[in-house]
Amino acid sequence: MSDPTDRPDGPDGAGERRAWGWVASLRAGGTTPWADWRDEAERGSRFLPGAQQLELLRRVNLLGRPGPALVERVLAASAPGRGRPDLLLAGASRPTSYGPRPVDPGDLPATELLRVATNLIAEDVVAAGLPEVQVPRLNRPWRPYEVAGVRWLAGPVRDQMVRRGRRPGGRGFVATIVGADVATMVELAWVSRCFDEGGPDWSSWIGGATRRPTPPPRADLPDMAATWAGGLGAHRVQVVLDHDRLPYALGTRRALAPAPVPSADAAELARWVTAPLGLLVLPQEQAELLRRTLLPWLLRHPGPPVRLDVEQRAWAADLAGRMARTLRDAEYAVLGSTDLLVPAPAARTQGSAGPDDDRVLELAVRLLLERGERTTGAAVARR
Amino acid sequence: MTRKVVLHVGTPKTGTSYVQDVLFKNRPTLLEHGILYPAERFDAHFLAALDLMRLPWGGLQSEAIGAWDRLAATVRAHPGTAIISHEILATASRSQVGRALDSLGLGRADEPEIHVVLSVRDLVRQIPAEWQENVKHRRTFTYERFLELIRDPERESRIATWFWGVQEIPDILDRWAGDLPPERVHLVTVPPPGGAPDLLWKRFSRALGLDGIDLDLQTDRSNPSLGVPEIALVRRINRMTNKELAPAHYRPLVREMLAHQTLSQRRDSPRLSLPPDLRPWVEELERSWVAEVSRRGYDVVGDVEELVGTTTQRWADPDKPAEKAVAWAGLDAIRVLLLDNARLMGEEERLRAELDEARAALERAYLRPTYKAREKVVRRLETSEGGRKVMAGYRALRGRSSRSA
Repeated sequence: MSDPTDRPDGPDGAGERRAWGWVASLRAGGTTPWADWRDEAERGSRFLPGAQQLELLRRVNLLGRPGPALVERVLAASAPGRGRPDLLLAGASRPTSYGPRPVDPGDLPATELLRVATNLIAEDVVAAGLPEVQVPRLNRPWRPYEVAGVRWLAGPVRDQMVRRGRRPGGRGFVATIVGADVATMVELAWVSRCFDEGGPDWSSWIGGATRRPTPPPRADLPDMAATWAGGLGAHRVQVVLDHDRLPYALGTRRALAPAPVPSADAAELARWVTAPLGLLVLPQEQAELLRRTLLPWLLRHPGPPVRLDVEQRAWAADLAGRMARTLRDAEYAVLGSTDLLVPAPAARTQGSAGPDDDRVLELAVRLLLERGERTTGAAVARR
Repeated sequence: MTRKVVLHVGTPKTGTSYVQDVLFKNRPTLLEHGILYPAERFDAHFLAALDLMRLPWGGLQSEAIGAWDRLAATVRAHPGTAIISHEILATASRSQVGRALDSLGLGRADEPEIHVVLSVRDLVRQIPAEWQENVKHRRTFTYERFLELIRDPERESRIATWFWGVQEIPDILDRWAGDLPPERVHLVTVPPPGGAPDLLWKRFSRALGLDGIDLDLQTDRSNPSLGVPEIALVRRINRMTNKELAPAHYRPLVREMLAHQTLSQRRDSPRLSLPPDLRPWVEELERSWVAEVSRRGYDVVGDVEELVGTTTQRWADPDKPAEKAVAWAGLDAIRVLLLDNARLMGEEERLRAELDEARAALERAYLRPTYKAREKVVRRLETSEGGRKVMAGYRALRGRSSRSA
């Protein structure tokens, strides 16, 4: 098989005209892969978009009908950060001895397309801004509280309390440390990272975590409780393992909805968006946008969350035993049996459920299409 | 007056820090001649480049948000010539270049005349210099590994992508100057070692259109190179401290104090060069670039043949340095760190004495009977509604916002 980069682009720049023909077809909603494309067209803009941008547009076309604004944004987008540059199409230009090797866009890995797509999603997130939160004007000052612990679980509880007119803090507040079984806490620790600073992917992260004898800091419930107890005194700290007892612990009658958990692919997509979003807004706003703007978009696409496999659950069960002993010996209150720390056994056949790059890319494309429709709709409404 | 924008887009290690410092320090003089170098701080164009290319850079990216658009707006509003200069612009993609040129006014009714300046140096000097820059940015890989990565034809590693992105002259010019007439593309070649010290500046001056302007050329900003044992030492320091030393401390302590101010002064050490077995590959590459840029007919300021490097350096392997020489460099580093620590201890003592003096003065003020009496009155007033109103009136009259007693 001949190397596509060695193939000349034909007489009088036929390869380049073929590339412009492909660009025109993609702009019109075409889905033909580059390798199968034959028609030619004249140059359509100042520069030929990169292989990543063109292939991403083809994937967008495969899943929906993007508006013209989204089409142009995809074609003009470059992947942010360091990494492979925008690549030329194999066969679209005369071979040179310099520059990155041209590629068949169909051969590009999903991660290359994700770099471009998540840059656009980050722009959409910034454009959408933070949703308005309705908070009652009157603060109900009774039973001062603070919610801490597993951040993914504690944050939504605090938000619900605030919406009920119960802002955290106040004189003599009691810190309620929310926990769960160790497997869930570890899984949510990674999800939290995805929506904070990004960090490593699931398999690298869980691989590193299970090699250590201690739990990841975001899943170390006794350590969190000890930190609060050290500051406030053990009498002002309570650990909640049984979620049914959480309203009682916080002094509210109504039930508190559990924190929604995004799918493994959605969490991975958030991890990808973190980096380009950090180049557009300051860190505090970045975290707020990821949780309050991006998360609701992702939750509309449910799927299985990340899950420890059988060996990893055994590691978690071992940690649960040690955590239970620490909690039992501590002086603060623990609501719920420490048996709740032990993860439910997984079926022998059940593997680790982590994200998949192709599915993450598909989710990214669906998000782009949804946001593109909303933008078009808004533009139409303004007219 | 013709509006003109001169974009100096690279490449790194070609005297760019010096040029940018001269331009920055001479902004008022340049403006008298209708030339704008739009920068409130020395690294303004670096931040703008980070923003344009959406590049993370050790936390600096937060300061860069919106910097390119602000820079472009300033340039568009200037009626004469504007100069933008930063070497990392060399790695901008076609669409980023397109965005940059659009934002500078290309395609508008009053579009400016765009000139692209690229300062270039032979790969014989650039390859070792790039590895050295990597090490000075906390990297720990060996020189051998670096050379392997940049020779990978797939260029999939970040190291290779970055290296060729900022060094591959024909490709940089394809991206930045593909549509420009060749006479508006200026290639400044860095003279070989041993030439007149001001020759490079004269070339920059011509390419940037600064001839005839009396500029102050004194600058203390430079990016000096290190010898083989010294760079080997810095790599070892990185390996030892990367997990413990915060990025904010690395730059002033390791990069500036140790590398630039101390280790670079050791001029007798062997210089970093190319391994002999790579020279034929590098020379072939350099000659192909010379042929390519000559064919394109750019305005070459200097001699395009200078892109074919020569070396008289004896090869010294930084991955297997002379340990005695590394030890001497290490002693030099310890000496400087000790002296700086002593200076800081002196400073700490001085500040502690100042603080003790301030505390003593405060205590003397608190002990005065009048202060005690006033404190008593305020406390009593704060206990009743009427008293609090009296205090509020007093504070309003006194013009003070603080509510503390």
